[in-house]
Amino acid sequence: MTKSIFKTLLAASALTGIAATSVAAEDVDYGSFADYTLRVKLIGGAQYEPLYARIAEWEAMTGATVDVLSRKNHFELDREIKQDIAAGTLDWCVGSNHTSFAPQYGSIYRDLNGVISEATLAEFQPLALQNSTVEGRLVQLPRHSDISNLYYIKSLFEDADNKAGFKAEYGYDLLPPETWEQVKDQAMFFADAPTFYGTQFVGKDEAITGRFYEMLVANGGALFDDEWNPTFNSAAGVETVNWFKDLYESKAVPAGSLNYLWDDTGLGFASGTVALNLDWAGWASFFNDPENSKIAGDIGLVRAPKGSAGIRSGWSGSHTFSITESCDNVDAAASLVTFLTSHESQMVEATSGLLPTRAAVWGDAKAQFAADGNDFLVEVFETYAISMEEDAFTPPLITPWIEVSNEIWPQLQAAILGEKTPQEALDDAADAARLVMEDAGYL
Amino acid sequence: MATKRVPFWQREKYTPYLLLLPAFLILMFVVLLPLLFSLYTSFTGYRLIRPESLYDWVGLRNYRRIFTDGDFWSAFGRTILFLTIALNLEFLLGLGIALLINKITWGQRTLRTIMMFPMMFSPILVGYQFKFVFNDNIGILNNALYALGLSDGAIAWLVDKYLAMFAIIFAEVWMSTSVFAILLLAGLFAMPRDPLEAAKVDGCNSWQVFRHITLPFLMPFVFIAMTIRSLDVARAYDIVDVMTGGGPAGRTELLWTMIARTGYDNARMGQANAMAYVSILLSIAFTYYFFTKLLAARKYMGGAE
Amino acid sequence: MEGSIRKRVGAVATWLLTFILMIIICVPGLWVILTAFRPNGEVLAKPPVWIPENPGLGNFAKIFGFGGDQIAIPVSAYFANSLIIALTSTVIALLIGMSGGYAFARYRFKFKNGLFLGLMLSRTVPGIALSLPVFMIWSRIGLIDAKMGLIIVYVAMNVPFTIWLIDGFFRQIPKEMSEAAQVDGCTRWQAFWKIEFPLAKSGIASAGIFAFLTSWNEYALASNLTRSTDSKTLPVGLMDFTAQFTIDWAGMSAMAVIIIVPALILTFLVQKHLIAGLTFGGVKG
Repeated sequence: MTKSIFKTLLAASALTGIAATSVAAEDVDYGSFADYTLRVKLIGGAQYEPLYARIAEWEAMTGATVDVLSRKNHFELDREIKQDIAAGTLDWCVGSNHTSFAPQYGSIYRDLNGVISEATLAEFQPLALQNSTVEGRLVQLPRHSDISNLYYIKSLFEDADNKAGFKAEYGYDLLPPETWEQVKDQAMFFADAPTFYGTQFVGKDEAITGRFYEMLVANGGALFDDEWNPTFNSAAGVETVNWFKDLYESKAVPAGSLNYLWDDTGLGFASGTVALNLDWAGWASFFNDPENSKIAGDIGLVRAPKGSAGIRSGWSGSHTFSITESCDNVDAAASLVTFLTSHESQMVEATSGLLPTRAAVWGDAKAQFAADGNDFLVEVFETYAISMEEDAFTPPLITPWIEVSNEIWPQLQAAILGEKTPQEALDDAADAARLVMEDAGYL
Repeated sequence: MATKRVPFWQREKYTPYLLLLPAFLILMFVVLLPLLFSLYTSFTGYRLIRPESLYDWVGLRNYRRIFTDGDFWSAFGRTILFLTIALNLEFLLGLGIALLINKITWGQRTLRTIMMFPMMFSPILVGYQFKFVFNDNIGILNNALYALGLSDGAIAWLVDKYLAMFAIIFAEVWMSTSVFAILLLAGLFAMPRDPLEAAKVDGCNSWQVFRHITLPFLMPFVFIAMTIRSLDVARAYDIVDVMTGGGPAGRTELLWTMIARTGYDNARMGQANAMAYVSILLSIAFTYYFFTKLLAARKYMGGAE
Repeated sequence: MEGSIRKRVGAVATWLLTFILMIIICVPGLWVILTAFRPNGEVLAKPPVWIPENPGLGNFAKIFGFGGDQIAIPVSAYFANSLIIALTSTVIALLIGMSGGYAFARYRFKFKNGLFLGLMLSRTVPGIALSLPVFMIWSRIGLIDAKMGLIIVYVAMNVPFTIWLIDGFFRQIPKEMSEAAQVDGCTRWQAFWKIEFPLAKSGIASAGIFAFLTSWNEYALASNLTRSTDSKTLPVGLMDFTAQFTIDWAGMSAMAVIIIVPALILTFLVQKHLIAGLTFGGVKG
């Protein structure tokens, strides 16, 4: 099967557009690769697994076999891929990828412009594709996007005593917060350590770097200037660090926050002991599931608040699929990647709350939720649709992003714990980040 | 010239070397060869994601960088502190447990199996287990303290400057005390009865018996246990990595966590291998120290060689 | 016989005291086992649920793919891999250890002490420092994601300690016994298997259990050298319960039980040899 026929077929399938939901999978020709074994490395985890159940369908359609070489979380997968680069063992075709990780991998992944047809690519949201592009090359096809919005316990905001008490103390009405300043006030108001906390934040690794970064932007700051000089040790940087520090010192967040990652904050909110929680879309279903969550049915959601510069925080990224340069059957790889990001596949993923990257899926998924009577997910998709469109921005898509992050977060912790002043900590981090950027050839 | 020439591998002189050959071959292949490779890379600017940088010779730059880095030396000092405290605590607790169990005559096998229970736990599992035990919000420790009225706030075990170190040492001690206990118990079993009886006849109290007879006899076992433990104490990396990852703000950063982050996350393998060499020398120093103590104790005991 | 009754009461009291102490020491581990039989929501609840309200085998069922939307974790493959890798590497390490231990115990030769120390020191290299270079060499010769790759590594990890224990044990056996057998017409090889090996059994068994536990529980190197169900071991499989955002702690605990139980049974079975082996080995010689 030649490449051009394959592309035509893909284009044809793409043209069916929204109607694709009703088209049975067998009607779309994904090509035929009998007796070929496609070797893939995928991100694992409960949220991502349902999609992989569909791989069997693709195998049946194309006659190929998919050999899943590994299925790990992204940090483990990242380590494995770096080892593969080091040892030259890139003997596989398709790998899960992420917009934040992709720039590290240099040229091991193929430019998908020309591999995936233009018609197919046109179905994707332009911003998602733009964020998947590294140095002009589309090195990954976005599978789903992610951004955070603010979840809160509804009943707390409806309680009359809370309303009156808050107004008396802070001088304005208790409403779901519009700014990070208000989040701080409300968190301190609701907090009653150690049984109840106002809010929480992830406290280590790239997680806190990301949270710092998005609020820095919201406060009018930037990590780097146009020449890649670190500039986050600015007044906006100090203001941002102080926001974390004040919450930590006033015990409005759990005392162990600095050792928390996403699972801790997600489970913490689900345990009903946290009032406000900035979190990813993928948690929505979990929070509203009575089996896992104490606050199911009592959850409110607003867009991520604004910083002092009037900008909303919107740290965003996409989970993606990439195809290696060393792949021995690009057509088969492209077919699988297209299949796993198809309209139907994204509908499957949307039901667990993952945000689609195909424009049409947003509306279709919402219609589906409404038909199912799941008003909460409708609200979630409406809120996240706006923030994906208006607020989303990625971290700098530079090779040493993780390395820069590893210089920043220990310093943030030092400042929050009061070992250094915020200014000292950020200055130290900026110096170290400068070294990293110099070594990487950006400066 | 009547004697038939014996092939060299049958000559008595070479037998021990032949017997040791498999051991040395496999260690050369699995340990020495990789170490030579990593020694080489420690003089290069090798970055994991740029294979061609393997040939980028930078001389002593990696070593200069880490030796002038304050964070490295704090991690170095913290690793020594961690090793010293953990090994001594394990020894004392192991000794106590061994003495107790040694007293028991009935049902000892069951107790010994219970004693070895923590040895069944993989280090990675120990890490997760104590991450949850020490969790400030939902951990059983804080919940138990709170329920018993012993604390009125959430204690941030994994964040506080001293408690975080305490927590990782606690986990390591929990996992490894059994090894000490079992080795010391073996020592107690091997102990001849006569001197003990004689001492009792002479009117020594039990502390004096322990201090002047049992303990000196046990010392070689203590050093064996110390040597064995210092050999594989770096297993603690798995625990620390899961529990705190070296944080917060580097408060529990040990050489091993630093090496892993530098080498894999930051992809600076050359620099990480330079650190690894320092940590290997540190382990060797610890092991060598206990080993010479062991040899001395053996001489004192009048053992062979 | 009042005295003997008092003695017996005292013994029972000591036993109980020790037993309780042991249990307290085991609490963190027992809690993991308890967690394995409880639903995740209950485990992470606040305020805490101390006494299981809904105990059950749900977590195990999930692991094996019965019910729930989670894909089954290939536990049986991991289990088989772990068993094959740990057993094979233990047997090989014991054979090499016996050969090496015998050499140190029975022969005088040049550089003996230096070689012995060198052997021991080879074990001090932290796994994290070895992981990358070993990975790069293994990938060149096709040992990545192969059981043999891990077996070789574990043999090397266990050989030094095994030699040490077995060396000590052989020294305990009087040379004269083997010499007498040789006078009676046995070759040295026959004398070894007829005289020395049976006497050294306990020591070899105790070296074996240490080697087995090390291999069975090892994670740092296995996580680097394995990839798929062809070679992934149980401790590496634990990571299947962690994802980008979540940790299934209850599921992980259930898996932990699957890892711990065989090791516990084995240890209980070779208990007798373990203490005997360590008692005579090691030091005195």
